Amino acid sequence: MGRSNWGRWVIILAVTLGSVWYLIPTYYSFFVLPKSQRNDEKALQARLPRWAPSANHRLNLGLDLQGGIHMVMRVDTQTALQKRVERRGIQILNFLKDQKIEGVTYTTNPEKLELTLKAPDSATLDKVEKEMKGFDDFTRVGRTQDSVTFQLKDTQVSRFREDAVDQAMLVIRRRIDKWGVAEVDVRKMGTDSIQISLPGQQDPEQAKELIGTTAQLEFRMVDEKSNHFSQLMAKHPPPADSGIRLVRPNAYEQLEGKDRDQLLAFARQDLPPNREVLLQCVTAQAQKGTCDSYLAYLVDKAVPLTGESLAGADASRSQNSNDFEVNLSFDTQGGVEFGKLTGDNVGRYMAIVLDDNVNSAPRINERIPSGRARITMGRSLGKTDEQMYQEAKNLELVLRAGALPAPVTTGEIRQVGASLGDELIRRGSLAATVGLALVLTFMAIYYRKSGVIANVALVLNGLLILAGLALFNATLTLPGIAGFVLTLGIAVDANVLINERVREELAAGKSSRAAVDQGYDRAFWTIFDAHVTTLIAGLILLSTGTGPVRGFATTLIIGIVASLFTSIVVTRAITTYLVHGRGAKVSV
Amino acid sequence: MQIIKHKTNIDFIGKRKPALFISSVLNLAILVGIAIFGFNFGVDFAGGTVVELKFDHPIRADEVRARAEKAGLHDVSVQGIGSSSENSYLLRLGGVTQLTPESAVTAKQALEALGGITNFHADVQNGIINFRSAQKLDPDRVRQTVTGSGTGVKEIRDLGPAQGGGQDYQAVASGMADRITSAMAAGLAQPDFRVQRVDYVGPQVGNQLRNKGIAALLYSMLAILVYVAFRFDFKFGPGALLAMVHDVTMVSGYYLVSRREFNLTSIAVLLTITGYSINDTIVIYDRIREEMARYKGKPLPEIINIAVNDTLSRTILTSGVTALSLVGLLIFGVGEIWDFAMAMLVGIIVGTYSSVYIASPLTIWLDERAARKKAAGGSMKVRPA
Repeated sequence: MGRSNWGRWVIILAVTLGSVWYLIPTYYSFFVLPKSQRNDEKALQARLPRWAPSANHRLNLGLDLQGGIHMVMRVDTQTALQKRVERRGIQILNFLKDQKIEGVTYTTNPEKLELTLKAPDSATLDKVEKEMKGFDDFTRVGRTQDSVTFQLKDTQVSRFREDAVDQAMLVIRRRIDKWGVAEVDVRKMGTDSIQISLPGQQDPEQAKELIGTTAQLEFRMVDEKSNHFSQLMAKHPPPADSGIRLVRPNAYEQLEGKDRDQLLAFARQDLPPNREVLLQCVTAQAQKGTCDSYLAYLVDKAVPLTGESLAGADASRSQNSNDFEVNLSFDTQGGVEFGKLTGDNVGRYMAIVLDDNVNSAPRINERIPSGRARITMGRSLGKTDEQMYQEAKNLELVLRAGALPAPVTTGEIRQVGASLGDELIRRGSLAATVGLALVLTFMAIYYRKSGVIANVALVLNGLLILAGLALFNATLTLPGIAGFVLTLGIAVDANVLINERVREELAAGKSSRAAVDQGYDRAFWTIFDAHVTTLIAGLILLSTGTGPVRGFATTLIIGIVASLFTSIVVTRAITTYLVHGRGAKVSV
Repeated sequence: MQIIKHKTNIDFIGKRKPALFISSVLNLAILVGIAIFGFNFGVDFAGGTVVELKFDHPIRADEVRARAEKAGLHDVSVQGIGSSSENSYLLRLGGVTQLTPESAVTAKQALEALGGITNFHADVQNGIINFRSAQKLDPDRVRQTVTGSGTGVKEIRDLGPAQGGGQDYQAVASGMADRITSAMAAGLAQPDFRVQRVDYVGPQVGNQLRNKGIAALLYSMLAILVYVAFRFDFKFGPGALLAMVHDVTMVSGYYLVSRREFNLTSIAVLLTITGYSINDTIVIYDRIREEMARYKGKPLPEIINIAVNDTLSRTILTSGVTALSLVGLLIFGVGEIWDFAMAMLVGIIVGTYSSVYIASPLTIWLDERAARKKAAGGSMKVRPA
């Protein structure tokens, strides 16, 4: 073994051992954990030995292989925008009345998001146009003798669309949360769509619930005088392992627990009349859609006010106190009710409830008569401004979600039954095994010893692909298996190129050593060019593709890189060792 | 062991003209065929609903179709998958929701009969009906009205009071999948099948997916072309590009003739074929470049012939072995995966052919043209004296 080869062998050994090491979490998730926990990252992490890579480096099965539901929802922002233009029309009319400009009427063009104001004479119309400068979400697009037309600004439209999708996402996250399903992936897709993956889920009815109406928003009063929770703790002490404990983050008692259902069942025992227990999801990482623990609130059963009368919500930073706040506005009727509700309950806490989840429970500081309210976000220790702003923004979205219905429709549903998934795994791995076996046999027969060396590289190639997929926490899909088979073909090609070259050099009368060295050198750039071009195709596929295509591209890319390594570095090291070190004759 | 004895000397380039002619005719025929007949687009691109049902007893495709038609599903296509002993069938319907232009009209009439209905707007693509009512309506009554008019309703939404007076409502039509399963189970106490898979793609999403797929194909061709131009001489570029176009067209031809479903997986096949085709072409180009350096002054056609002959055993071996790795997929793959493997096999065959007969001849042609231009330029210089 030559000195210069030491480095090469160390690299090969490190890569091989590294691959095996990275496959440990995958091995545990498939062969140690029960099947029902296959998607549960926490359970996997608990079972893994301490020296193993973390549980998020594991190979996932795609929805097509393990069964589940994949959905794409389209947020119908157009309907919501049309409603908004109408609402603004009314507001503008009221404002004009306040300014003593009489006799103005309006019509809307829902397709173009236009608002046309009609006035009895051109002097009034001039005044209208002047006042409209204050409504800067509209631009003037034209004027006729008796009317002037405004259109919703493009910046407004795109901001609104973005907000509407964010709202819908929030609602969907919360609904999924309510079921307590682990490993749900909710992400934005394009400008108006939301992609949801529910691995292992089989119930389309449950999935359909996601598409239901927008969230139900309620305002309920917190019962801060009751000692229901402390009595419960005294009368029926919860099991020690439940983690349920009594807390007082505010001026009233609450229960905290890790398990949603358990906490709810415990807190609802011996419920006082006309009271209800609702939970708040406490997340360590905002927006992640998972709850770390739950906080129980005892609230009045009566719902004095719902989100139907809410007209808008806006998160901002207060000029005076530098605190973050959310400004609410109610419609006329809602404003009156809200004034009465706050007047009757000064000093108490009002829970803002969305889809039966408590979002927050601000304290009512004074009667709010104007139909405009402000929720000031309390300062918590250790929270950055960014986190505080995010909380305010969340609350804004929650409130708006109740206030502004942006209907959601289904763009795509792909549901795969678990039994089909199992069968596909069986067939897929059988197909891959047969393909691999055929190729290995052929190579060994055709190239003899060199073929066996190529086969070692090929098997290592398969190992590297699996480890690569695990390293990037990639998902193995059915097209992914096809990509796996294809990269085996490409890896074989590299070895064929090398061996054919070595044969040529031997035929030209060179010695074994010279033939091997020159064969590898000459084949290198051919292999490199061929791999890079396929890699380009793979990368473009990955960046533009969706769903199944991405799974294929990921496997292809990892496979190409692995093939480059095994054919150029690994087989060469072995062959060089045999020919140079042991003086063996090359056999191709 | 050797398949091909070392020095072959087949005159590939001499036969380039008839080969080019036949290829051009085939490609043109395929393009015309695509324009006239079009692909059999899958739900991924066309939008629609596919339900895979596995029956728990033997049943024939025409029995499945008859049952669907009896329940009023006339435009459903039934296709068996896997072996016949699996009793699995794909049922496909073009529509995504139960709302069609015709049923929207009847729904409008039915709703208007309630009185005070204005601003009726049916969005057939998304299966939504929006309308305004002068007075508040009972959602159940709206549901009954719309369902009674022949459109299944998933949900009635109250969109809140309209500013100009009245109340806005939205009716969301049920999906086709429900209709398929309920139609198939009609008259049975217990469904005799299991729903294995539901694919439902809205038409707008379908268009997006198709445009993205085509864009991916074009971008990758362009990127590969740039790489080839950069690594080799520019005159190699067009040949490589034409070979890729040829292979993509030929594989599209497979989808056209076999009437197999053209879907997202097909795009993945086409992309792999471009990668494979260029892979093959580059190996030969690489050899041409090498031989050019070795035999300076030899005419290009001769050099290309030597290069193609020298790499012939590798070309056949690689194609053969890659095809071998597909055998498993062809035997054990069902549905989409079998389609994938078959199309790949076609792609490997045409890809091997195109590297020899398309990419190289075009390089010769470009070289000859460049030589002629050079000669013409030389004579120009003489004249102005």
